[in-house]
Amino acid sequence: MKVMRQHTGATVGVSFIVLLLLASLFAPLPYDPKATEGGASLQAPSGAHWFGTDGAGADVFSRVIDAARIDLSLALAGTVLSLVLGVVLGLAASTKGKGSERLVRGLDAFQAFPLLILALALVTLSGNKLYMVVVAIALINIPRYMRLLRSEVLSLRESRFVEAAMAMGASPRRITFRHLLPNVWGVVLVQTSLTIANAIVVIAALSFLGVGVSAPTPSWGGMIRAGAGNMSSGEWWIASFPGLIVLLCVLAFNQLADAIGDTTARSHR
Amino acid sequence: MSDELVLDVRNLAVTIDTPDGVVNPVRGIDLQVHRGEIVGIMGESGCGKSTTVKGILRLLGPNSHVTADTINLVGKADLAHASKKVMESIRGRHIGFVAQNPFGSLNPIYSIERQFYEVQKAHKTGAKKAESREIALSMLKGVGIVAPERVLSGYAHQLSGGMAQRVVIALATTLGPELLFADEPTTGLDATVQAQILDLISGLVRTENRSMVLVTHDLGVIAQYCQRAVVMYQGEIVESGDVMQVMVNPQHEYTKKLIGSVPKAEGRLNVAR
Amino acid sequence: MASSPTAVISIGSKAPIKKASGPLRLVLTRLGFLVSALFIVVTLSFFLVSVTPGDPAQLIAGPMATAEQITQIRADLGLDEPILTRYVDYLGGLVQGDLGNSYFSKRPIVDELVEKLPATLELVLLSVLFATVVGVAAGAVGAYFKGRLPDKVSRFVTGVFQAIPDFFLGLILIYVVFFLLGLAPAPSGRVGLVETGPGRVTGSYLIDSLLAGDFALFVSAAHHLMLPVLTLGLVYAAYFAKTARSTIGKALNSQQAQFARAMGLPERTVVRYAFAESRTTIVTYAGVIFASLLGGEAIVERVFAWNGIGTWSLQGITKLDLPVVQGMVLVAGAITLIVYTLLDIIVGLLDPRISHA
Repeated sequence: MKVMRQHTGATVGVSFIVLLLLASLFAPLPYDPKATEGGASLQAPSGAHWFGTDGAGADVFSRVIDAARIDLSLALAGTVLSLVLGVVLGLAASTKGKGSERLVRGLDAFQAFPLLILALALVTLSGNKLYMVVVAIALINIPRYMRLLRSEVLSLRESRFVEAAMAMGASPRRITFRHLLPNVWGVVLVQTSLTIANAIVVIAALSFLGVGVSAPTPSWGGMIRAGAGNMSSGEWWIASFPGLIVLLCVLAFNQLADAIGDTTARSHR
Repeated sequence: MSDELVLDVRNLAVTIDTPDGVVNPVRGIDLQVHRGEIVGIMGESGCGKSTTVKGILRLLGPNSHVTADTINLVGKADLAHASKKVMESIRGRHIGFVAQNPFGSLNPIYSIERQFYEVQKAHKTGAKKAESREIALSMLKGVGIVAPERVLSGYAHQLSGGMAQRVVIALATTLGPELLFADEPTTGLDATVQAQILDLISGLVRTENRSMVLVTHDLGVIAQYCQRAVVMYQGEIVESGDVMQVMVNPQHEYTKKLIGSVPKAEGRLNVAR
Repeated sequence: MASSPTAVISIGSKAPIKKASGPLRLVLTRLGFLVSALFIVVTLSFFLVSVTPGDPAQLIAGPMATAEQITQIRADLGLDEPILTRYVDYLGGLVQGDLGNSYFSKRPIVDELVEKLPATLELVLLSVLFATVVGVAAGAVGAYFKGRLPDKVSRFVTGVFQAIPDFFLGLILIYVVFFLLGLAPAPSGRVGLVETGPGRVTGSYLIDSLLAGDFALFVSAAHHLMLPVLTLGLVYAAYFAKTARSTIGKALNSQQAQFARAMGLPERTVVRYAFAESRTTIVTYAGVIFASLLGGEAIVERVFAWNGIGTWSLQGITKLDLPVVQGMVLVAGAITLIVYTLLDIIVGLLDPRISHA
């Protein structure tokens, strides 16, 4: 909470996300997000339709809010999976030695993959299963956690207080849980916030390409896809509002990451 | 040492804007340096001694402000009210600066020769490359470097710590500044090299009748090399005067503690010499 | 975009350069790593794509196909063989420069790659150039005026462009620059719909149209490159600015810069020193961005109907054309690793601490 007070960007961002989530879960939407009104398609934003209507006549505002449910849950699920596996594997790889050196090399090589293409291939090949979206997010982000943890832990192991703990005969397990984990927590939190942002973009990109969440279920990427063609004929609102929401969500989590980073950096001083 | 003033600082203060508010690391500093004199500024780390000399040269970051009634570099300019252009022409030419950790000072990606040439270019001495090289060679010889040609065409990382600091001193004195600021010039160097560097730099000052402000936390160094000492504590000068007087008969409580904290043998040894 | 460049920045720099004793040893070590890393990329991509549940044969056959038809297709594509046999076959072909044939077009993957790669490279190279120039400029301004207005503006703009999904930025630009302002052509690919590309020499439309002396076509090709390059360039410039700001900022506040100032060197020389000290990081980062753009830009190719390997691989994926997917992963991976290897060597040459060790 102390994080919030010192960082207006993060406060605004987190409030926005919470509001968006609450609205998508509980607020009565002005229109059924999946309903289409044939006669009212491609209407510009107005008092009746705040964000206008799309090519099928559905209300863009209702769909944008409703999409938060699936998009944000998928992003959170992917992040949790990345976090858990990434931290566990990262700690396991945080020893000095040939084996873990090689593993890091493997991770380097993995970074050479065109990751979006790979994610797309996995989801498509699985027959468009949503859990594969989660797996794909994890696949992209686990190596990042592993690299981060490894570099943090290796530098911590060199530090005085861990040396002291070892000299006093603390067990490896005690050192890991009492001395290392509490000290890497800050960077892990920063990475987690960035991972959520990344996951939101990956999900949007996948559904923009027609994979993952598919119509008629509203998703931000899917809505951008539906409105993409309209951009060159002037109906900007169909793709712009969902795009703007994605942008704001990513900004919010980036701000949060900055705020956490600042706070941990300060408390380390 | 003469009575001729070289530098006269009155009421110098430094303020720094930090994310947590404004701080005043240095306040109300008066400092006079005479021709041929070595003045030592001593105090524990964080007392503002380094900030003082960097503040005079205006080398502190853009979030800091230096104010003073006067920073009179006698016969040259009042640095308290000098423009950036004037400051640039003063630094290096009239006031030389030697910092600790020579590897941090030297540019890692340009050859040593190039760094000498940059100084000539900056001060528009009109020296061509060949001339600059000749000057650099004689400067390097002057600081006791045995193979100056090889050092000149090499890079900082190829030098030992002592050699690198000699190069820094050569650079800092290339244009013959009448005043030298040395900010912990031997911290981090091997103990045997420390004495050599201090002998070198104080010798350079003495033979040319220049002046120096030597910042250090090492009382032994002050006792051995300086004529006058200034004691700083928490951003202010608490005591100043003749070295012997400050060392043997300290007036201020802090100075007494500072001197008392030095192991007896070393303190006596250095003062006695 | 799926692979943010911040995550991979350490690759170029974390090479075991310091251990190598001579330039030859350095190159050999790097080549060894290159080959083994490529092998890992090939193997991982092969198995990841192969073990994922989903049946290409079924998809190719369509929903109305009978079981026999599907079996037949599976046999035709060699999918009935055990996975290890397929893997060995694939590696065998790879050694001879054969990446298999597309399930759909039946053409060799290598031919299709050669045909489409130049379009992507032209786009990616120009985008990296744009991102580097704009990003370094914005970062340098931020670093120099740290904490003051220009820095705040630069950081705000950078933050927004970093958060914007590239495909969405592409659409916004289409709306604003094409629809509203009429300054860019419609997103119809490398040239207009009624135009045809120049005779192929290098594969780059810009160069080939000039070689053919067709100036009108050159203008059209440049015009069509404008929005996609702007899209990718702006997004990656934002990443670049962040790195450039901290690197140049560090160099400007270093003891070295302080000593340079203390020697009376003018401010522009100090800035030049800072740039020079940052150049290895800048080169490394440009390479990393180049690598992450390959494949990362596929979605932007789609937005602008760009006929490169990005669009090609996206089409391949939706049709479960496995050889296309593997070909894409392999080529993007190979170019990435080659770029990283070159980077290590270039950085080594630029830095006297390494080249004059």
